[in-house]
Amino acid sequence: MTHTLHRLGTDPEQLREDFVILVMPSKDINHVGSGPKLRRFFEIALESGAIKIGDCRKGNQYHQGGLDQVLKNVEDRAVIHAVFKDRASVIRCLKVLKAADLGMSVVVSGLFDEVGRCCQESGLVPHTINQSLGRWGKTNKLPATGIVEINTMCGHGMVSVNLIQKAIARIKAGKWTAEKAAENLFKPCMCGIFNPHRAAKILAQLAREL
Amino acid sequence: MKIDETKCTGCGTCVPYCPAEAISLAGRKGPQPAGGRKKQNQVAVIDFDECAECGVCLRSANCPADAIYQQELVYPRSIRSLMSDVLTIAPESQISGRGTEEMKTNEVTGRFPRGVAGLAIEVGRPITGTRLRDVEKIAMAVAALNVEFEKINPTTSMMSDIKTGKFKDELLNEKVLSAIIEFCVRVEQLPELFGILKTVEKQIDSVFSLDVACRLNPDGSNPTQSYIASAGLWVAPNGKTNVGLGRPLIQEGLSK
Repeated sequence: MTHTLHRLGTDPEQLREDFVILVMPSKDINHVGSGPKLRRFFEIALESGAIKIGDCRKGNQYHQGGLDQVLKNVEDRAVIHAVFKDRASVIRCLKVLKAADLGMSVVVSGLFDEVGRCCQESGLVPHTINQSLGRWGKTNKLPATGIVEINTMCGHGMVSVNLIQKAIARIKAGKWTAEKAAENLFKPCMCGIFNPHRAAKILAQLAREL
Repeated sequence: MKIDETKCTGCGTCVPYCPAEAISLAGRKGPQPAGGRKKQNQVAVIDFDECAECGVCLRSANCPADAIYQQELVYPRSIRSLMSDVLTIAPESQISGRGTEEMKTNEVTGRFPRGVAGLAIEVGRPITGTRLRDVEKIAMAVAALNVEFEKINPTTSMMSDIKTGKFKDELLNEKVLSAIIEFCVRVEQLPELFGILKTVEKQIDSVFSLDVACRLNPDGSNPTQSYIASAGLWVAPNGKTNVGLGRPLIQEGLSK
């Protein structure tokens, strides 16, 4: 699905700290024996500075019981991801991926100009893009933009509006730091594509404003 | 999803986790939970009609009384889990999370060759969720363009007629977190498609997120850009880029 797309952001500086790299095989073309190649991506991502990894098929590190389990349980056909908070780490990861020649499809989500620069610096040529044309229909049903920004970092909608509001309330009450709140909001995101680094900044801002 | 009222202590931990806001606290009518030391006046209840079977409460709320349980899912309700629970694997795509390969593997599949735009209309996303009758409305509207809906997609499998976009009647009231209508058009058809969507968006009770995928031109430019700009549509500065590392590469000219 388009789960790493539609990540709403209104602050370009925050979006500059939000990258997801997705890796997957293609059904009936190169999926047989893909598990070890996908696992190798996880290793490369972590060595390159990824702040989170996750697996659509098996769940995130909290659900699986630790990062080592996430690496161990990767199967053929999995769709896996790593989250990065800076361009330098993405470039490092792409350079190693290119050299590793795993043969798996690699999709980078982030600001198009930033991702373009990452490709250029790692010697890759963008092949296909996917653009979000926003939200349509009864958009008056949506909550405040900041809440939507946090919610859309889990493309499957697992991080509920009420949980986000509860996290903001706890920050305002001094019970949680923004970082702790963001880490707690990461937990329901089974694919592990929720970016707690960016979420903490938005949460801190919402706690001041709301 | 269900809650065993004989175990629930009414602590309310699970309530904020539900993306569909289907869990609430209500006055307890039945017996007190076993082993409780003080009287519990409240119990958590799930609005079964609003529950999308996403599994978040069961997996993430860590119910201290272990009172949340998954009842047997029988068709047509089982569709809710398929379209809402990220860990449920679709039989068509063998992918978890109700999605498809779309542009993610385009360098290998050639699904979207040059001159073709891939469209995905994700109904219910973000936040509102949707009944499948809204998904049908949009699918039937875009079917007027004689589009071919993506076959390896669980949403297409819910149609009784893939030419008209009509859904199976028994599914229309099912509630899901989202469902993705997926198809291709020639890039020249984009203005007409946008016009259709501008009309049908007024006829639904939920939201949808729209996206357009395309193979870039040889010079790296975006062949859909002028059509999107002419339609006056907002486009996000961030999105997805397939960096062309999948192998074997599709042979240009052999793709559909």
